Amino acid sequence: MSAEDDTGMKPVLDLVALSPAVRSGLARALALGALGGIAAVGGYVCVALSVGELFEADRSFAAFGRWAGGAFALLTLSFFAKWLAEQVAHHASFDLEVVLRRALADALARMPLGVVQRTGSGRIKKIVQDDVAALHNVVADAVPFFGGVAAQPVAALIALAIVQWKLLLVVLLVVPVAMVSFSLMARDYTTQRERYNQAAEDVNNAVVEFVQGMPVVRTFDDGRTSFRRFGAAVQRFTDAVGAWTETSRSASAFNRLVIVPLPTLLVVAACGTPMLAAGWISPADLVLGLLIGAMPIEAIAPLMHLTNLINDSKAGAVRIGELFAVPPLPEPAEPRTPVGAEVALRGVTFGYSPDRPVLTDVTIEVPAGTVCALVGPSGSGKSTVARLIPRFYDVTGGAVLVGGVDVREMSSEVLLRHVTLVFQDPFLVDGTIAENIRLAKPSATDDEVIAAARAAAAHEFIVGELADGYDSQVGERGGRLSGGQRQRITIARAMLSDAPVVVLDEATAFADPESEAAIQEAVARLTVGRTVIVIAHKLNTITGVDQIVVLDDGRVAERGRHVDLVSAGGRYASLWARHEQAASWGLAGTKVKGVTA
Amino acid sequence: MKRIRRLMFLAAGPYAPQFRSTLRISVIASVVQALAYAAFIPLLAALAADPADTGTAWLWVGVLVVLVVVEALLRLKESAFTFDYWHLVTGDTRTRLGERLRSMPQQELGRRAAGDLTTVVGGNVTSAATGISAFSTLFVQLVTVPALLGVVVLAVDWRLGLVLVAAVVISVPLMRRLRNLSNQGFRRVDTANAGAASRIVEYVQGLPVFKATGQAGADSPRLVEVFAHQHEANATANRSASVPVAALQFLVQAAVIALVVLGASLVLDARLTLPLLLAVVVAAARFAEPLAAAVTMSKLFELCEAALTRVSEVLDAGTLPVRPGGRQPSSFGITFSGVSFTYEGRTDPVLRDVSLEVPERSLTALVGPSGSGKTTITRLMTRFADPQQGEVRLGGVDVASLEPEELMHHFAVVFQDVYLFDDTILANIAMGRPDATREEVLAAAEAANVHTFAERLPDGYETRVGEIGSALSGGERQRISIARAILKDAPVVLLDEPTAALDTESEVVVQQAIDNLVTGKTVVVIAHRLSTVVGADQILVFEDGQVVQRGTHTELIQQDGRYGSMWRAQTRAKEWRLVRS
Repeated sequence: MSAEDDTGMKPVLDLVALSPAVRSGLARALALGALGGIAAVGGYVCVALSVGELFEADRSFAAFGRWAGGAFALLTLSFFAKWLAEQVAHHASFDLEVVLRRALADALARMPLGVVQRTGSGRIKKIVQDDVAALHNVVADAVPFFGGVAAQPVAALIALAIVQWKLLLVVLLVVPVAMVSFSLMARDYTTQRERYNQAAEDVNNAVVEFVQGMPVVRTFDDGRTSFRRFGAAVQRFTDAVGAWTETSRSASAFNRLVIVPLPTLLVVAACGTPMLAAGWISPADLVLGLLIGAMPIEAIAPLMHLTNLINDSKAGAVRIGELFAVPPLPEPAEPRTPVGAEVALRGVTFGYSPDRPVLTDVTIEVPAGTVCALVGPSGSGKSTVARLIPRFYDVTGGAVLVGGVDVREMSSEVLLRHVTLVFQDPFLVDGTIAENIRLAKPSATDDEVIAAARAAAAHEFIVGELADGYDSQVGERGGRLSGGQRQRITIARAMLSDAPVVVLDEATAFADPESEAAIQEAVARLTVGRTVIVIAHKLNTITGVDQIVVLDDGRVAERGRHVDLVSAGGRYASLWARHEQAASWGLAGTKVKGVTA
Repeated sequence: MKRIRRLMFLAAGPYAPQFRSTLRISVIASVVQALAYAAFIPLLAALAADPADTGTAWLWVGVLVVLVVVEALLRLKESAFTFDYWHLVTGDTRTRLGERLRSMPQQELGRRAAGDLTTVVGGNVTSAATGISAFSTLFVQLVTVPALLGVVVLAVDWRLGLVLVAAVVISVPLMRRLRNLSNQGFRRVDTANAGAASRIVEYVQGLPVFKATGQAGADSPRLVEVFAHQHEANATANRSASVPVAALQFLVQAAVIALVVLGASLVLDARLTLPLLLAVVVAAARFAEPLAAAVTMSKLFELCEAALTRVSEVLDAGTLPVRPGGRQPSSFGITFSGVSFTYEGRTDPVLRDVSLEVPERSLTALVGPSGSGKTTITRLMTRFADPQQGEVRLGGVDVASLEPEELMHHFAVVFQDVYLFDDTILANIAMGRPDATREEVLAAAEAANVHTFAERLPDGYETRVGEIGSALSGGERQRISIARAILKDAPVVLLDEPTAALDTESEVVVQQAIDNLVTGKTVVVIAHRLSTVVGADQILVFEDGQVVQRGTHTELIQQDGRYGSMWRAQTRAKEWRLVRS
């Protein structure tokens, strides 16, 4: 293996090192693979020696049989060793998959929730599922094979040296050629493959864009423009690959011609003929040369097919390593417990990247049991404020306090039990209604679950519209329920959790016009007696809240009650004017009368 | 085998002739290769004779040289397909798949998951092309060479040949069993993987809840459960498939040993000459190697077969038939007469005997609960699919007599779902009418209120959407899609409540943009907020796949029907306050 390949394998090896059991399993597989390679060579040596016995003047079946028996035993050993190597490697690889997936689940639980959210469930799924599975190619398929690659050629050459060194010299003639071929393979990997990978990634992106956009694209484009874009990317890929194969053509062709047994056998035969005629070697020696001379070449031949798979695995290993490298959110050594339900941001400064602050010196006090609405244009920072309260990220300056305690000084479990989130995307697991509500409090009794569902205005549809009531399956991600029904299940969960602080995205209440009234009722009950921080979109719903905080460009622009802010004639007043204008809009230029905003 | 061959030729498309000749070359090269191995038999026979017949040996070495060179040249020619055509096959297949996707009926397109199609056009095409260029010739070689060697040994000595034939005869059912077992195993692993994937997504999305209840981390019960199941499926599949593999490989090696032993006893009984035995042993060793490789390669063959199958499924997808008698409509009223429609795979119709009329240059609103059929109405207008009964006419012309692409020229559509390409804002708008001048595009952008935010961006209209990514708000994305529709300037405009998901600030500018779009057009709008359509010329109230009420807002309010109760419910909802003031 060249030095480049060793560094290339490092990401994979780092992952394997995570589990000592897996590592020792793989070491066993490697050893067994090597044993298999050596035994195979020994077996063929015995075959040659058994035939050699037949040349003896006093030949007997017994003498032959000893060697033949040895051949059978060694080839059987080789076969079992290789088989076992593969089994051990496969099982080690399956174990490794579980170890890695659980370790990733752990890393995800420790890293800031905001990082998890921004990485996205699709990408994380790809890493935890697909990239981990792709390691199988290296770990399970390549390990026993590498054992053979290392041991079999060496063993074959040693066997030749012992039995007939003159033939060894002949076979060694081929070695430089194989070395050249090997280095050609390595060169392809480093320089050309990257270009190919880039082209492949581009074409994949084009495919994703073309396919996923298709249903929507058809509505404004007859497909011409998007098809042209797609066609152009496909063409670029075709050209890139064409150019690559053109440059690597001679090297690949060379490998294709050299890494096969026939040329080596031809060399052995051509050199063996005069040697035999001169009496330097016996016919049995020549048979030996022909049987094991090609083994070194044969051992490395599958490498050509494995390279692609191994490269995929390595790319995946790098992505897995990146996820492991995300620094965890520090947990306090001596966690404190929040007392009460007030929420405060004191002089908070925060940015997703250090150079671009999203919030600057934000101070908000929300006394226990009051409702605070966050208002402002998109990008003003209101969602960020909502995310900092349950510590999706740590602030860069200032502090966030819940129940009088800095969120960094309590364990995340305690914090998240204290603060419940009702965001726009309702989260449901593939299970029954009851399981989904009970997620918030696994110990809840059936009566508690039903009470929560009643409070969330969900009981009626659960009992009235679903065939199995609380035992009805909700489907993957709640697919069997309507949007409004999913919302109410998540609200029921928040009810059950009994957390004194609620962070709410008010768009939730309007996600599904069909069940708007029921959701509004549920939200209203949820807010009773709790401290509520709500991201508000439709200003009419918050006219009665205790405190409105108007954010603009990451700073608090105004704060106060609705009436006071409207009369102040500032930022809020102009937002309110726009709101009233929007609410009275109708198609065909009709201004609607008699509709309250 | 026949099926794979057909699929390969289908995927090879215009390169089928080159593929065919490559397969021919592969067969010839394999024959030459087998002959080269066979040449060792007379060579060794001459060398092992007592005394050695060096002259004859040299002759056979010469023959061997010629065969090896010829084989090498043929292999070069064979591999030329990979170098010269592999990338062209992928390009051509992707282009053909793209064409299919473009002309595939919307309903058909909607039936397939986008992720699935992406895999087909992406990875599956690569696997299929590799199957065609590399695996097919490898397969020819793996089958042809041992078969011919078997025949050669049979010709040299029928008793020894029978040993090899027996090995082949036993291995065929084993191969078949292996295939079945590994297919079953694959399916179980697939199911387990899909289950794990969805639990992982669930875990990520629900992490705050799981953390709050101590169910997060390496011991998360919902994850541990699926991972264990996945492990078990993997291990079982591997175990059940490994036994036949092992048996096969063992069989092949045992056959070689058996051949040596049988040969030796024949030599000792003087029923076979020793040189011949040597020769046969060397040839038989070559017999074992490709067969063993075939077993390990079978996994790759299976992947390739699956890829080919999926690619050909999409290539074979049908198009919507176009009825004769189509002509360009000259007016743009829309009529439905007795239309019934059932979605593929459902039993109950979503539209039942619907007749309606949308007069030209009027505003028609479709209202009703979700699932009542209002979205289906707009879909049938643009030939998402054809109704099972009744007719949809645009300007008196049956839409089923128009090509879907042609028909789409007359429609501009603004839905909540906006798709932006990774290109500049200007280019994204220009897609509405690719031949528009820059001035026309900018005018459309202005009318859709795009300029108010585009001018603030670092590169203005030349800013790439991908680079600012989610920095565009829902309202901004919506305005780009309205600009596209304005630029397209189609006579019929379809709207699906485009302002429902926007916040207050965006709403006003989007509303202005829509006002600019709909002026002087035939407009059909799906409305959830009744207040936005009180000015409509006609409101159609849908329930259960039928039009239950029709009229203007004032007329419908006076009738005490479905519309009246919807209106009252929405008025109440609008008065709702988070906290009563």
